Amino acid sequence: MTHLKVNGKLIELNDDGFLVHPEDWSEDVARAYGALENIAELSEEHWKVIYYLRDYYERFRIAPMIRKLCKDTGLNMKEMEHLFTPGPLKGACRLAGLPKPAGCL
Amino acid sequence: MNPPFHLAKKEDLKHIGIGQVDDSAIKARTLKLMDEFRKFSRSFSAMLETCTRCGTCANACHSYLGTDDFNNIPAARAGYLRAIFTRYFTWYGRLFRRFSGAREFDDDTLCSLVSYFYQCNACRRCALYCPFGIDTAEIVLAGRNILTSLGLAPSFIVSIARNEILTGNNTGILKPAIIDSCSFLEEELRGETGLDIKIPVDKPDSEILYLPSSSELFTNVDTLMGAAKVFHHLGVDWTLSSVMLEAANYGLHFDLEILKKQNRRMRVAAAAVGARKVIQGECGHGWRVARMYSEGADGPVNFQLEHVLDFVAARLQRLSLSRLPIRATLHDSCNYGRGTGLLDSPRLLVRACVEEFVEMTPNRERNFCCGGGSGLLMDEMKDLRMQLGKMKAGQIKDLQPLDYVAAPCASCKAQLPLVLKHYGMGDTACGGVMDLLGRALVMDNERRIEGNATGNHVK
Repeated sequence: MTHLKVNGKLIELNDDGFLVHPEDWSEDVARAYGALENIAELSEEHWKVIYYLRDYYERFRIAPMIRKLCKDTGLNMKEMEHLFTPGPLKGACRLAGLPKPAGCL
Repeated sequence: MNPPFHLAKKEDLKHIGIGQVDDSAIKARTLKLMDEFRKFSRSFSAMLETCTRCGTCANACHSYLGTDDFNNIPAARAGYLRAIFTRYFTWYGRLFRRFSGAREFDDDTLCSLVSYFYQCNACRRCALYCPFGIDTAEIVLAGRNILTSLGLAPSFIVSIARNEILTGNNTGILKPAIIDSCSFLEEELRGETGLDIKIPVDKPDSEILYLPSSSELFTNVDTLMGAAKVFHHLGVDWTLSSVMLEAANYGLHFDLEILKKQNRRMRVAAAAVGARKVIQGECGHGWRVARMYSEGADGPVNFQLEHVLDFVAARLQRLSLSRLPIRATLHDSCNYGRGTGLLDSPRLLVRACVEEFVEMTPNRERNFCCGGGSGLLMDEMKDLRMQLGKMKAGQIKDLQPLDYVAAPCASCKAQLPLVLKHYGMGDTACGGVMDLLGRALVMDNERRIEGNATGNHVK
């Protein structure tokens, strides 16, 4: 079991590096994940995507289609890939505290 | 045990009805399961008794050629199970032990089985070249079933199987999200074509139930949009189902009981909308299960079963296509090429959609696997998967400059963009055949948009 250290507290992560307990998420958790990806400071665009994902998940219990995510946040795929490694699918979901998307992805 | 992937945890296995076996009971349980398989599947024991280790399979196997690991030679891979079979189920093995190639069942054997049975994409290319027709994929899948019964399966596959059981799709999408996603795509189609193209969900009294591949409501939306356009143009009465949203059936990769459960789900889904025909989308393994293992495992179905590429190819005359100015090739999914003989329709369609079509060498049933098949799409195996994709990368490199690789299977669509990028071909796009049709189709009253074919590089 791996952990993410946030404000001196250890947050439990699963084998894929996603939160074991979704309720552990906070903005500081997102920042700590960002630091792992060498993102010194999360930008306004990062937060826009993170909160869009969290809101969509809250309503539908799943991450939105990438195309919808791009359209609703006004960011294109290239910008998404630039913001999140390894891409919006796994990278952004991880920062937003969502479960890892499953399937032939 | 240190396999190249994360093993599923006890509680995750419990969710899909699989228990774990105490270490002390593993050997007895394995032998019992092998005995059951031997009686249930004559081909399994025939293939374990037959190999002469001629080595022909080595050069047929993309896994061995890509990893250069001796244990990935099909004869060596199957050899682990073959040695145990010889030791415990043949008279010569019991009598002559290791002189007959027999091997005692021990921890090392178990570790090798877990590791190497999941470095095989079950593509069956070795079976094509083996002088005896030994299908190592069948041995591997039997072996994976045995390992699953011991509580040993990849976390990635188990989590997907759990989603299939709970929701009828790999991603775990529930009906409200399906409706939301389809409404969004209808809007997109309206914006693109000016037409009211529907993507119906659970529409009663539909003639056709359409089962797209996994991820068409997630990453590969162009494939579903292409199908919706074509169905609209042909006036097809169709619907998606929230009972079973996808053709995928991960049971094939590791557990026959789950495979059967998904088969039954397809019947429930078809009955719920009154469909007389089920059309499967661009899903390689899903089509193989539906075509080859559905009626065999669960009895006759009361609907017709057809692949979307066959369905559309038979109606090609009715489509007005404007060829896209690109140079494209077709990647034969193993489950089409060697699993179900779906070879001509995809070619016919891609040829009709693009200005220049080029074949890979080798192609059709001799095509190399992309390296992503049989449930090996886990992130932690990415480096290994790039090795598994080496032969495929070579085939595509020979066709450069190339605009598009049509790969009508969701696993291939997930794997190939990574392979292309890894081997320095990031400018070549990858996507489905239905995607191309959607772009090339000239629809009535359509306001055609500018643009060329680009695939999904969403990863």
